[in-house]
Amino acid sequence: MLIRWRHVVATLVALPLLGFFIGWLGIIPLGASGGHWAVTDWFLHWVMRNSTRTAALRVETPPPLDDPARLPLAAGQFEMGCARCHGSPAQGRSAATLAMLPPPPDLGRVVPTWTDAELFQIVQHGIRYTGMPAWPTTNREDEVWSMVAFLRKVPGMHADTYRELAGLSATPSGTVEPPSMTCDSCHAESRLDAGSLIPSLAGQSVAYLLESLRAYAEDKRPSGVMQTAMSALDKDDFPALAAAYAARPRQRLAPESADPQALDHGRRLAETGDAARRIPACLTCHEKRDGNPSYPRLSGQSPAYLATQLRLFVSGKRGGGPYADLMKTAAENLDEADIQALSAYFASR
Amino acid sequence: MVVGGAIIWALVVGLLLYAGHARREPITARKASWLILGGGVAFPVIVLFCLLAYAVWLMPQIRPFMPALMDNKPQIEATGEQFWWRLRYLDDGGNTAFETANELRLPVGERTTFRLKAADVIHSFWIPSLGGKMDMIPGRDNVLSLEPTKTGVYRAPCAEFCGTSHALMAFSVIVMERPDFDAWRQSRIEAAAMPQPAHPGRDLFFRHGCAACHTIAGTPAIGRIGPDLTRIGERQTIAAGTLANTKDNIARFIREPDAIKPGVEMPAFGMLPDGDIEAIAAWLGGLK
Repeated sequence: MLIRWRHVVATLVALPLLGFFIGWLGIIPLGASGGHWAVTDWFLHWVMRNSTRTAALRVETPPPLDDPARLPLAAGQFEMGCARCHGSPAQGRSAATLAMLPPPPDLGRVVPTWTDAELFQIVQHGIRYTGMPAWPTTNREDEVWSMVAFLRKVPGMHADTYRELAGLSATPSGTVEPPSMTCDSCHAESRLDAGSLIPSLAGQSVAYLLESLRAYAEDKRPSGVMQTAMSALDKDDFPALAAAYAARPRQRLAPESADPQALDHGRRLAETGDAARRIPACLTCHEKRDGNPSYPRLSGQSPAYLATQLRLFVSGKRGGGPYADLMKTAAENLDEADIQALSAYFASR
Repeated sequence: MVVGGAIIWALVVGLLLYAGHARREPITARKASWLILGGGVAFPVIVLFCLLAYAVWLMPQIRPFMPALMDNKPQIEATGEQFWWRLRYLDDGGNTAFETANELRLPVGERTTFRLKAADVIHSFWIPSLGGKMDMIPGRDNVLSLEPTKTGVYRAPCAEFCGTSHALMAFSVIVMERPDFDAWRQSRIEAAAMPQPAHPGRDLFFRHGCAACHTIAGTPAIGRIGPDLTRIGERQTIAAGTLANTKDNIARFIREPDAIKPGVEMPAFGMLPDGDIEAIAAWLGGLK
């Protein structure tokens, strides 16, 4: 028989209809209990690895990942977001999660099989059809890289090291059981030092804390870590929470020995700015006796946190409360040397 | 001049007619080359040199203000910024006596010399009623002098496309009698030493950090990034010739500068409580 045009057209019309018909019949099994055929499993996995490898080509060169300050931030997020499915060094995967299709892999086994860029791709964007979620925001590559740094340490990590990093032992009751994350798991003053990427909240102004909490809750300040942490909180608790941290004595994180030249540069920028480069003086808004309480206090904060936030402001990704746009304008002309100098100066102040 | 021109014209036409009608033997090649050298090279060189020398000798009388320009002793330094004018009145030593913005005051009947600069992109300084325009070019000082002959208020738009709010970048020029101008100039110089009295708007101005970018003489505000706001209440317009100078308009500009001047550098302060904005606007509008 000669295949004519009308045969082709009829087939093209019939095929989708047939597809809809089969879908409507409900005879496609979607239960997870039986698992995949071995060949399906191989094929899906093969496609996933290829897709990840190709997508990772556009990932930019990783920043240095050996900074230990990256670990507590990522461990907290791991405990809140990842451990439930992947298990953690302190807790294995439950039978319930192992019954997922596909089952979340044992990270100790699979992490070494990926490159840094591939891990970044998976953590940032997730994997479709597997239950692996994307990072809550695409604006915080710094956080995702911290998670990659943490994942590299997971194979062979001791349970106590993990608990210590995630702050599970820092609950107010002082006990580990039942392990649960609180604000203090990450933000407790005793857990912070000059290298911390986690800010010290003690003695911060109530207005700023409250506006920041609301900004996280309303998706106006991107942070995968904080947005995950905040999802368990009730909005009505925000004022009490802000007041509690504001009431704690302000903490001075012992700064690393800073370069005196950088400190001097930072002081000059903070006190007088640089009009020629359109950089206003920080101290006209911050740290003023009768200043607007929505402008945060910066003195004594960890320089690593300050630098991260300034970089986010410069790149326009910071977000925040109603006043955050002012800082975006104020910071837009800072270069990396300015950021280092200002962070060192305010940390030592 | 007309007689001279007529004589030259008659000579040239006469020569032309003569050359067309005369019938005579062709001249020798030697004679011809002398004619070309003499009439085509030597004669024009001598004539043109004499004319040039005469013109150069005349020049100082044609442009009597040139020595002042050559001294490069401007009285005012004007800088074009996106999208406003930084105006510095200079003292005899060339130092800044005081700074203002978007409103120029000049004495009538005297020549004022300007140094023109640009902070970001090319702008053009143009007071149509007083003289020609001159570009303000980043990294370069241009010198311009103007002599207003009538008192009054003139408008001066930016005359070089400089960005989204180019059409909203203008300044006003107030030409005053010399004694009035001197009194104004002196009072502006003294303003730095006259503390501004307390006002709720003043406290709020500092509380919210306006001083990071703005200067107001007689207060601790010494920001150099945005326009100087000293005595902003006495200016005809705000936002560089964009809005009439009323308290409502000042408040509106504080609240949403970008809606009034697209691309403006000043961030919007609409998140401030309305009462705060109005108090700041009332204080600024009263600075005279």
